[in-house]
Amino acid sequence: MKSLNVNGVERRFSDEEMPATLAELLKQLDTEASVAVAEIDGRIVRPEDFARTELADGQMIELVRFVGGG
Amino acid sequence: MDKLTIAGKTFDSRLLVGTGKFTSPQVMADALAATDAEIVTVALRRVDIDDANDDTLSHIDRDRFLLLPNTSGARSAEEAVRLSRLARAATGIDWVKLEVTPDPYYLLPDPIETLKAAETLVKEGFIVLPYINADPILARRLADLGTATVMPLGSPIGSNQGLKTRAALEIIVEQSNVPVVVDAGLGLPSHVAEAMEIGADAVLVNTAIATAADPVEMARAFKLATEAGRMAYESGPRAATRSAEASSPLTGFLGD
Repeated sequence: MKSLNVNGVERRFSDEEMPATLAELLKQLDTEASVAVAEIDGRIVRPEDFARTELADGQMIELVRFVGGG
Repeated sequence: MDKLTIAGKTFDSRLLVGTGKFTSPQVMADALAATDAEIVTVALRRVDIDDANDDTLSHIDRDRFLLLPNTSGARSAEEAVRLSRLARAATGIDWVKLEVTPDPYYLLPDPIETLKAAETLVKEGFIVLPYINADPILARRLADLGTATVMPLGSPIGSNQGLKTRAALEIIVEQSNVPVVVDAGLGLPSHVAEAMEIGADAVLVNTAIATAADPVEMARAFKLATEAGRMAYESGPRAATRSAEASSPLTGFLGD
């Protein structure tokens, strides 16, 4: 088993299910449309880099979007 | 009317509009259009994985509006800097409305953390528009650091109380060498007109438009009030006097 902490929630993956890249994770979670930018272990990942950003067991991932605000 | 210039960029509209609290993306889009605003604020939040709605950005015409991401939710300089960097990475935009509000009840901005964050962000090349209390000295310190504007509050965010800080705002306007954008608490078009009449360069409104029964009509009202207040300011209003000053001649009365 492998795990990723995504937006504060621990998610477990079998070795086959573990997404290889950030883009694959977003696809699995069905959040591709809404993620504006991400952070992995405090490092910022731009949308154009999602597909080539590889994931590893135990990472802390923040998926961030824009919302209305003043 | 004069144009507004912030960080070398010129704008016809002096009304900045927030995008929070609208009942639907369509109402928001219609209201934004009715304001004629050119700068709109947005916030950054975690994606809700279980309810991943389309993001707000897709409903904002980015050819028409300059996006101004805010750092709302930040309680320290460190959090505000983190949010600013994320916003820049997401949009490619250097502009940020810096707000650091540790107290959730009044949402008043923390001056020390705001100053610290501004210093870091200016060094990193951000165009910083800091939300501050109406403190003339803090305003000057921020401008000296290189912020693009100062954004003093009229009253607490979303409170609709109007210009409770008027006397301090007048000092900021008098002394500031960067544009003064009065932000927060502007609940009615008359509040906006008052801010513009005393010489504010611009105003920012969100709650009062978004939560009106008819946000699109209210958006128009705020647009007109911003323009009316600015026109009055540019026209040189006369000072108030204690006694009457007759506007009709005081000579040639019948029966004299």
